[in-house]
Amino acid sequence: MSTERIIQVADLSLILGSLRSLQSDIGTVSGQVDVVGSNLAQTRAELSRLEQAFNEFVQSDLRAKELALAETRQVKIRQEIENKFGQYAIVRRQATGILQASDIQLVRQETIRNATEELMLSTPRYWLAPALVALAAWLTDNRALAERALAEATRRDDEKTALFFSLIGRRAGRSEVSRIWLDRYFGLQNPYSLDRQTVVMIDALANGVFNTDAALLCIKRIGSWIEELAQQAGFAQTQRGQWGDALRSKTPNFNHAQRYGHLSRFSPAWNDLNAALNAVSMQSIVLEHFQDIFQGEIKTASSVLIAVDNLLTSLVSHFDDEELPLRRTEQLNQLIIEEAGDKRAAQQRFDLQSKAQEERVDFTQLLTNAAMHPELSHVTRATQRLAVAHSRDWIVDAHSDVTAQIRQQAPQTIHLSIEDWQGQTAQGDNETELQDSLRQHIERRKQQALEQAKLGLKDWGLIALGVVLLLMSLGNGMIVFVMGLAALGWAFLSYRQVQQRRKQIERDFALLQEQSAQALRACLAETVEWRRDWAMRDAVAAEVTSLLESISPEQHLLAGHNTARRVMPAAAAQAA
Amino acid sequence: MARSLLGIQPATAIPLRAQTATTPRLAGAQLEARLRKKRSAAYIRAVTQLDAGGHVHSPASVQALIEAIRQELPDVQIDALPLGIVSRCYLGAPYQVHTLDCTGSIIQHYKTFEPLPSLLERARSVALHPGYAFVEVYSNRLIVVGESGQTAFIDL
Repeated sequence: MSTERIIQVADLSLILGSLRSLQSDIGTVSGQVDVVGSNLAQTRAELSRLEQAFNEFVQSDLRAKELALAETRQVKIRQEIENKFGQYAIVRRQATGILQASDIQLVRQETIRNATEELMLSTPRYWLAPALVALAAWLTDNRALAERALAEATRRDDEKTALFFSLIGRRAGRSEVSRIWLDRYFGLQNPYSLDRQTVVMIDALANGVFNTDAALLCIKRIGSWIEELAQQAGFAQTQRGQWGDALRSKTPNFNHAQRYGHLSRFSPAWNDLNAALNAVSMQSIVLEHFQDIFQGEIKTASSVLIAVDNLLTSLVSHFDDEELPLRRTEQLNQLIIEEAGDKRAAQQRFDLQSKAQEERVDFTQLLTNAAMHPELSHVTRATQRLAVAHSRDWIVDAHSDVTAQIRQQAPQTIHLSIEDWQGQTAQGDNETELQDSLRQHIERRKQQALEQAKLGLKDWGLIALGVVLLLMSLGNGMIVFVMGLAALGWAFLSYRQVQQRRKQIERDFALLQEQSAQALRACLAETVEWRRDWAMRDAVAAEVTSLLESISPEQHLLAGHNTARRVMPAAAAQAA
Repeated sequence: MARSLLGIQPATAIPLRAQTATTPRLAGAQLEARLRKKRSAAYIRAVTQLDAGGHVHSPASVQALIEAIRQELPDVQIDALPLGIVSRCYLGAPYQVHTLDCTGSIIQHYKTFEPLPSLLERARSVALHPGYAFVEVYSNRLIVVGESGQTAFIDL
């Protein structure tokens, strides 16, 4: 048969040889792929470390740039304020200067009049200039000029002028004048939309600057404002919300990674842990804030003249709305500087504080701002006490809510990731279980690595070839024997290499096991420490609550400069 | 025959119109103000003694507890009542918290790391805090209740 003849003729040895060679090549490639795989895993780990380091570098670089930018902007804004509103400063200084000069009668009336008229010319649009002309005219007994100047001052800013002359009336001991202006001032107010300078009136009340009649009027008015606001639907809810924001604005932004080195490295949820510590740290800052308000010393002015002068300076210096946009930008830059260039954290703090920089706020927001941001509201400690005392119930509720939220957000389970092992702990007390899990994981990885470290197909081929050649050498002489020995020697060398590699794997994994176990132990110790730290900071909440509950509004009006006995709250209640 | 919701028999003798007239529906700020009120000592005792009978509960005891909630908040409509209660478990390890699912009338005890139903899970961490007796879970908020009955809101 022709087919059978062809098969007999065909020489398959070449194909078989090629197949063997191909098999051997596949074995080689497979070994190389394993090596590449292991290198890739190592490269990936290194790349991940590099990425982390790079991200950290980018973050710190961004922060450094933001910080430098904020510092430059700060200088520019201050220059702009100086350029735009610098001339107002001269007018402001002259307000109390004129009063003090006329007290001791060292300056001629003519000089005072000339000075105020010059100010009037140099600062158009500014309410204080005509107010000072009116003041000078009043001192020189020029009624017609005083009335004209007053008309202009009230046209420019009625509210500030009324408050200004009410305080001046009090300074001069003219209680009727003071009361009339105060009445006018109150007549202009809407408790839903108060100008920021209303805080000066509260400052005067809290520091005992007003005489009994005026103080009674203020207390009555404050009472009616709160009553009016309280009739709104959802009023208490809004109060709790705004006090909650005010309390949260005291949350620090600190990185605790240095203290918790292992957790920050091995816990994927480190950011949550850090945020939870910062959130709960708010308690001690709030406690310190309220302690400072209620236990700190109140510096009372030695006379009503000095007290009023301080208020006048505050009234004319801090509450001009024209400056407000620039002041807001200045505040944001200041926060970026305080947060060392962390713009996001600064913006967050700014948003929580921003209500203290609004042109118009409702009365209770004014109290919140005065109590929590004295540096932005420009109020004294006495006013802070009064504001906190009036808002006590809302603060207690808001504090309970914020505390519960902080407690709810504290992570219950802390996830750990060491190399590619994953575990979780709640209190850091499950060490035995986690160590077992880690050991088993590393053992599994070691077994996988050992399985890879074995004689390959090529080596087994060499052994087989060596044995065959040795057997063949019995009849074929020395050369074949040497070739057989060489093949076996080659295979033996490969075997030695495999053995060495296996020993190296054993050593590497023993080291990995030891280091991982140590890292796990450290993580658990830090977990226990973290929980203790968190609980310690959280326990301060009870102190804040008891401090707030011990406050009552009646205690916080200074008797101040009145000679009359203080029976105001009772009298106010009767009057109401 | 009307269905018995949460184990409460409808008062068939009172016409529906009269009922709505006596208990106006609380909503918004009014409902919040009502829910913020301090809880009574009897109610707190009823909830905190959930563990007393071990971890198996009779349907009667569950119904009694749901009735206690209803009595504590009589002027709150059924749909505004808590969906469940989560509290620290005193049965000891491995149990960590227990829950009362008001809709399914089930009391269940959960071990550490054992997940709670998603709605109740959010209350777990705060329920474990020693400062609170238990947590009432609503659809839009959690109300934590202290030993003294004082409440605090966590809006979700």
